[in-house]
Amino acid sequence: MKSFQHVNVFSVEEAVSTLKDCKGSARIIAGGTDILAVLKDQILPDYPEVLVNIKTIPGLEYIREDSSGLKIGPLVKLADLVSSPVVKENLKVLAGAAQTVGTPQIRNVGTVGGNLCQDTRCWYYRYPHSIGGRLLCLRKGSGPCLAATGDNRYHAIFGGRGCFAVCPSDIAVALLALGAEIKTTGARGSRTIPVQDFFNPLGNALEPEEMILEIQVPNPPAEAKQQFLKYTIRKPIDFAIVSVAVLVVMEGEVCSEARIALGAVAPGPLRATEAEGALKGKRLDTTTLEEAAGLAVKEAKPLSMNGYKVEIARALVARALSACL
Amino acid sequence: MEKEFRFIGKETPRKDAGEIVRGKAKFIDDLKLTGMLYGKILRSPHPHALIKEIDASRAKKIDGVKAVLTYKEIPGWRAGLPSHIGVLDRKVRFVGDAVALVAAETEEIAEEALELIDVHYEPLQAVYDVEEAMKPGALQLYTQFPGNVFPLACPWMGPNSLQEVVMGDVEKGFAESDIIVEGTCTYENIPNPLPLESPGVIASWEGPEELTVWSSSQCPYLLKVTLHYAMGRINVRSIAAHCGGSFGTKVMPWHLVFYAAALAKAARKPVKLCYTKAEHFAAFTLRLGSRFSGRVGIKKDGSVMAVSGDWFINAGFCSDAAQGMVAVGCGEVQLMVRCANWNIKPKLVCTNRNASKMVRGYGGQELEAAFIPVLTMALEKAGLDPFEFFKKNYVKPGDGYYWRDGNWWVCRGINYEKVMEKGAEVFGWKDKWKGWLKPTSVSGTKRTGVGVGMHGNADVGEDVSEAYVRLDPDATAVIYSCVSEHGTGQRSSLCKMVAEVLKLPVERISMAPPDSLVNPYEFGPVGSRGTYAIGSAVIRAAEDARQKLLEKSAPLLDTRPEELDTEDGMIFIKGRNDKKIPWKAGIGFDRTCFGYGRFEPDFTVPNFMMIFVEVEVDTETGKIDLRRVVAATDVGQVIDSQSLTNQLHGCLGSAGLDSAIFEESVLDKKLGRILNPNMLDYKWRTFLELPAFDTVILETPFQTHLFKSIGVGEIVTSPAPPAVLMAVSNAIGKRLAEYPLTPDKILRALGKVKENKARSTQ
Amino acid sequence: MSPYFITLIVNNQRYVLEIGNRPGGVKPSHTLAHTLRENLGLTGTKVGCNKGECGACTVLLEGKPVLSCLVLTVECDGKSITTIEGLEDSQTGKLDPIQQSFLESGAFQCGFCTPGMIMSVKALLSSSSSPTDEEIREALSGHYCRCISHYHVLEAVTRALHKSR
Repeated sequence: MKSFQHVNVFSVEEAVSTLKDCKGSARIIAGGTDILAVLKDQILPDYPEVLVNIKTIPGLEYIREDSSGLKIGPLVKLADLVSSPVVKENLKVLAGAAQTVGTPQIRNVGTVGGNLCQDTRCWYYRYPHSIGGRLLCLRKGSGPCLAATGDNRYHAIFGGRGCFAVCPSDIAVALLALGAEIKTTGARGSRTIPVQDFFNPLGNALEPEEMILEIQVPNPPAEAKQQFLKYTIRKPIDFAIVSVAVLVVMEGEVCSEARIALGAVAPGPLRATEAEGALKGKRLDTTTLEEAAGLAVKEAKPLSMNGYKVEIARALVARALSACL
Repeated sequence: MEKEFRFIGKETPRKDAGEIVRGKAKFIDDLKLTGMLYGKILRSPHPHALIKEIDASRAKKIDGVKAVLTYKEIPGWRAGLPSHIGVLDRKVRFVGDAVALVAAETEEIAEEALELIDVHYEPLQAVYDVEEAMKPGALQLYTQFPGNVFPLACPWMGPNSLQEVVMGDVEKGFAESDIIVEGTCTYENIPNPLPLESPGVIASWEGPEELTVWSSSQCPYLLKVTLHYAMGRINVRSIAAHCGGSFGTKVMPWHLVFYAAALAKAARKPVKLCYTKAEHFAAFTLRLGSRFSGRVGIKKDGSVMAVSGDWFINAGFCSDAAQGMVAVGCGEVQLMVRCANWNIKPKLVCTNRNASKMVRGYGGQELEAAFIPVLTMALEKAGLDPFEFFKKNYVKPGDGYYWRDGNWWVCRGINYEKVMEKGAEVFGWKDKWKGWLKPTSVSGTKRTGVGVGMHGNADVGEDVSEAYVRLDPDATAVIYSCVSEHGTGQRSSLCKMVAEVLKLPVERISMAPPDSLVNPYEFGPVGSRGTYAIGSAVIRAAEDARQKLLEKSAPLLDTRPEELDTEDGMIFIKGRNDKKIPWKAGIGFDRTCFGYGRFEPDFTVPNFMMIFVEVEVDTETGKIDLRRVVAATDVGQVIDSQSLTNQLHGCLGSAGLDSAIFEESVLDKKLGRILNPNMLDYKWRTFLELPAFDTVILETPFQTHLFKSIGVGEIVTSPAPPAVLMAVSNAIGKRLAEYPLTPDKILRALGKVKENKARSTQ
Repeated sequence: MSPYFITLIVNNQRYVLEIGNRPGGVKPSHTLAHTLRENLGLTGTKVGCNKGECGACTVLLEGKPVLSCLVLTVECDGKSITTIEGLEDSQTGKLDPIQQSFLESGAFQCGFCTPGMIMSVKALLSSSSSPTDEEIREALSGHYCRCISHYHVLEAVTRALHKSR
């Protein structure tokens, strides 16, 4: 790996000021499972001079329950999220999503914050520099999206403005369904960003001197049923072709609330609000579920090679809902 | 006959097991020489281009850089078949082709230097499709290969190497057929065999004409021979490290040696060159692309009357053995189906992508994966059970076939019907087979289907092996056979064979290191030849040494050699217990006793493998679950059961069965780049997706050697891809003719996804 | 950047390493896999993909299996690391029961993935005395084996479990 300096920081303030001092030439390292692969392949034209290790900041690795919900420190490891009794008990979609990330070894070091901040898996974007040079594209600020006219089997079927790469985070999909918010801090102070606003078409909302401070998950409605499903070619060590997290609250025979979040289909995780609306106030029989699943993908606009993702998304929504009954 | 073996067929830990589980086995990247430098390669961004200018002066100025080479300053070594590839060229022919070489004190410095080499290219038109490449007007990769077609001669297989399957009268055969089908099937997903260990070499010049090469080759002696001819008749010493998987790909990594040796020569220091995984994906070895387009005629009873067609083989940017694979493929297809009238014409074509080279399955897998789906269209029409069809039509003792040398050989192997029946029984074929395009079972959106595949190979007795066995006075023996350990347990199995001949505990048998300096000629463990070919040489050497030992001992025991036997290091008169002398007495305390053995090629004992697969397909999502695999074969005599079953399970690896389900190198045909040169986007089977796997192994004695056994390791991958295609087709009720069966293809076949209904991306 | 020192405890042995840019030294950009192999000579840890995708380089960091190709050495200061070389009895050379089981079951072919797999199994059996079959497969799910020795590996783990009972 090409050289860089490595700085351990011991407080959030120090992290932010170090990032600021480096004037854009520093990157944060947490678990490192994504950034080190990015650096090894030198996929980006800019190589950082400094890696700022935030694992040395005390007190960012916690899962805390309070009256409003669960607070998760950004350095919580995915393995700890999976094994946390409170997460398993109350936030089944989150535990489920974390369980599908990578492999046991990845989950032992990969963090929640890192999972949210990881870069896209678009294979044009990730093409290794060592084999004829990195590929430049819209996302890298130079040229068109290569997937738009290339092999886009894994790319967006929704949204995408110029860049059709999808957000690879499984955690984000679960958090979206749970209505979570992401608290950040940076050179311009702290803010709280709803998950749906955290992602944008070319990455995420974080500024260069900003980091995640906490993930805040409100208590899901009592009696809510949850299900996370992820469609991949192989079970472990694979990114979603489509993932879905749903949360359903029933009052007697009737659905009083439904949330459906889709992953790997758009630049960020996506709520299927129309489908959710179609479930509310209804008895959830097969016809209703199929109808909702259809609505979830109604607006899909597949690219040349990924029409199949629409069908998979439709099937996954129906199955996830059905699993909640 | 009751077999009374002490070691053969008995479960004994592999000789190198301790080293492996301790992490002490030395693979190529574990070796370090004093003063050794590290090589790195600048690789082409273009699929086809001329280098207009190249300036390495900035790179040469970096501290720690010891050599930088471009096409202007490289030795004139050449390899390929026929010879067409130099160390570097002014022309680059695929994305990832070598443009410049750097040797430096560390890999990091070498990588830094690569960034400072300035190259200006003149991009040329690139071609990726075999039929496009052959069209008039397509840009030529090499001036000497017009139409981008390689000549098919393969001199090392003999002057008349097999270049087609042509015999009988095809038109007459079709005229006599009840059913004639015509079709095209492509097996062009160019999967990567992808051993875990990326290839690597170390080159060190001991003198101007003396090169020592350490490598991860599975065939160190063959590498020596290849390099000798490719590098101007120099004297090469070739040493193999433990090989971290090869599947044929690391047999002769001459190109890595070219790079490392050129750098070592320029820097006057040893150079290590170990590919990264990205290089392994993008610039090492892929499976051949294969397209069969033709006709098959059969009788209603399943007799094959005529086969004719074109076989288009995509070799990528160069060929170093593809002609051999074409020859063997042409032979293997005849072993699979007996037919009097053939006309298959292969075209071996070069295109602007990374090369396809030697891979387990060696031509036959590629041809059959594309041919069988066309053949089975006829079975579908006739309503014939493919299991019964394969059983009826494979080559039996007394049948003949043209083999790779172009000669007609008559099979003196064994009948495999018994093991096929047994395999079918274990799998439950008769219950599960419901007819063509019919699922075995349906449950909601899930449908199961079954398929069967068959493959035979007469290369188990290919090529020459030589071996020595040395008996030492301390009642130990050493085998000299230039075989490296690449996962099959071959070295250990050879020790068991010698232990059996000498009646000496396996612990007392060792093997000289796989070093061409100390060992005699050895082609290497490829094509399942380890058991029969290498085994025969080693057994003969052991028998020869034993004979000499008994001859020396006879006078001491006042008898004739044929009256003597030896066991556990003692020599004695057969049937008597009173007079015994130790080896030390027989050999002499300051002497050793050498035996020599040689094996000459024998193409008369083909092996066969039948594979049964069961898949479950989710018709809503296109997901395929491989549920069950049964591999059935007859090995004559098991040498080592663990190694054998391990090898058979290998059908799930090395670009084998899964090349039908998800394995593919995704080539972007605008950029010429392989888009998935990593182990995330290149899919592979994990511990969480293991199918139930049964091996059915019979032991019907073969007329091979002392132990009547035959090797089968290589062939287990070959019958699997078309068997999977058949199973999935049956499950979903649609005939499929393209690999791999990713969900998009399944959903499209089911009519759930429309073809290329793209949105505007502006 | 001025050089500084870190301490690693590898297989119960303390190593003090200088971090800096000296040739042959440990740089901030060096991975644990690189340091183990190139600086400490512990080549039993294999590097397959060098990008966290194959599991070959698995070692135990504070008892947990991690991919040493995706861990920076500088971030291991003061930490305890176990590699394949640390499993056998350092006095007698006696194999760990898991190593012994792999040996007896022939749970390898080329053997390149074996050290990493053994480390994952070691972590599993250290934290659970009776893992289910599913848990065993899950623990091994990040390990690539191209020869397909999986079936013999599963047998070896079962064998090791029997040994420990």
